Amino acid sequence: MSRSNNSSSAKDFLSDVEKRSHQNLLECLQCGKCSGGCPVASEQVPGPRQLVAEVLAGLKQKALSNPLVWHCVCCGTCLIRCPVQISIYRVSSALCEIAHEEKMAPSVPDINLFEVLFLKSVENYGRLKELRTIAEYNLRSGHFLKDVDKGIRLMLKGAISPVEIVKGWEKDKRVSSIFEKARKIG
Amino acid sequence: MKVGYYPGCSLLGTAKPYDTSTRYVCQAIGLELEESPDWTCCGASPALKMNNLLSVSLAARNLALIEKTDVTDVVAPCPFCSRRLKNANEELDVDPELKKKVLEVTGLQIAGKLSVHNLFAFIRSHIGLEAIRSRVRMPLKNVQVIPYYGCYVAEPGGASDESDPKNPTSLDEIMRALGATVLDWDFKTECCGAALALTKTEKVLELSGRIIREAEWRGADLIVVVCPLCQANLDTRQGDINSRQKTRHEIPVVYFTQLIGLAMGLSPSKLELNHHMIDPLPVLRKKGFLA
Ligand code: SF4
Ligand code: SF4
Repeated sequence: MSRSNNSSSAKDFLSDVEKRSHQNLLECLQCGKCSGGCPVASEQVPGPRQLVAEVLAGLKQKALSNPLVWHCVCCGTCLIRCPVQISIYRVSSALCEIAHEEKMAPSVPDINLFEVLFLKSVENYGRLKELRTIAEYNLRSGHFLKDVDKGIRLMLKGAISPVEIVKGWEKDKRVSSIFEKARKIG
Repeated sequence: MKVGYYPGCSLLGTAKPYDTSTRYVCQAIGLELEESPDWTCCGASPALKMNNLLSVSLAARNLALIEKTDVTDVVAPCPFCSRRLKNANEELDVDPELKKKVLEVTGLQIAGKLSVHNLFAFIRSHIGLEAIRSRVRMPLKNVQVIPYYGCYVAEPGGASDESDPKNPTSLDEIMRALGATVLDWDFKTECCGAALALTKTEKVLELSGRIIREAEWRGADLIVVVCPLCQANLDTRQGDINSRQKTRHEIPVVYFTQLIGLAMGLSPSKLELNHHMIDPLPVLRKKGFLA
């Protein structure tokens, strides 16, 4: 297969992804070892090899909307298996970042929603408020009663406290300025 | 020995038993933990996916504040926190342009003098097996444990202190030092589905289900973990795995620090072993381990 499409926009996209991810994608052998070990690859989610092929071919829209970039759990299995040490989660992260910057609608909205709520919690409170973030995700995604049974059992064991959801609404400025400036400087 | 301690958000919430048992055990083995001053979230994977500068800056804020204390090593129980802090430290070291931007974003200087470790690997390499063995009061005799490291430990150049990150062994060694029978298996660094638990629950049931099935087949009494996400997925989702796959697994999933504490004679309730969805006490009692 051709290493890359020769048009300048295709090359720009490839070099943008390489620069952000610090991965040398031109070394990819297309051997597919990464896909063989990727835990999230399935009939619906293409394996990492295909994602690299899309970036190499300069298929920007295709790569940015590839569901793998959202499903990737950063497990590093691809990197361990890859004969030329390509880390796909660096590539997926770079593609998510580009999608955010270009205000593209995420191709897997529920995963994106969870991540947005996660970061909102960190921006507001400095730390992730786990239970509150889970509750908010369930509300916003319409799964009102999801996992409530587990929550109740853990509460009865004293493992989690309902107080955690209601207390501590005051904003914490420690990291919100980091979010603001990082967004500006990018 | 004194080290910086970065608990991370999960250890204040769903993984509180990990924090509690870590503090007891480190005190007992002579590892003084200085909690990172005013620590905040490392950004985890959501920040990494949103904006790399944000991700490095969130980690850097913590590194800078720890640098102001007098420690040179910092331990994080959560493998993802540990990886993020370590990777950010390394990226700042090799990329002056990034360092400049991070200074602008955080207003904090980073000297890059810290060394970041996974708690379990640090205990193995810096405290050592002899020190652990010498404090065991109640050896975990006849308890068959399966050490599950999870995927975040295994990345090459990642956060592990292991000599071979593809094949970590520290947890096996620590468990043997406690007197437990350590089972060999094929899934020790496989992924449990991690943060997809809420959004792609089916995927997590599939991945965690494979791990539970293999652990059961090998005859595990307990699965011992080092990662809060692994614990949450394998423990709280086992019921759903059972209903989905028509199985009857009931394998408790505990933190390694809880087992060290137990072998040292700390009470199960102190170690919050009663906080897990699948109660580990019946199996420990059955093994004649608890009074
Ligand atoms: S394992 Fe590496 S070389 Fe092989 S296809 Fe995947 S990224 Fe390319
Ligand atoms: S890091 Fe991402 S792409 Fe690589 S194996 Fe894990 S989930 Fe798949």
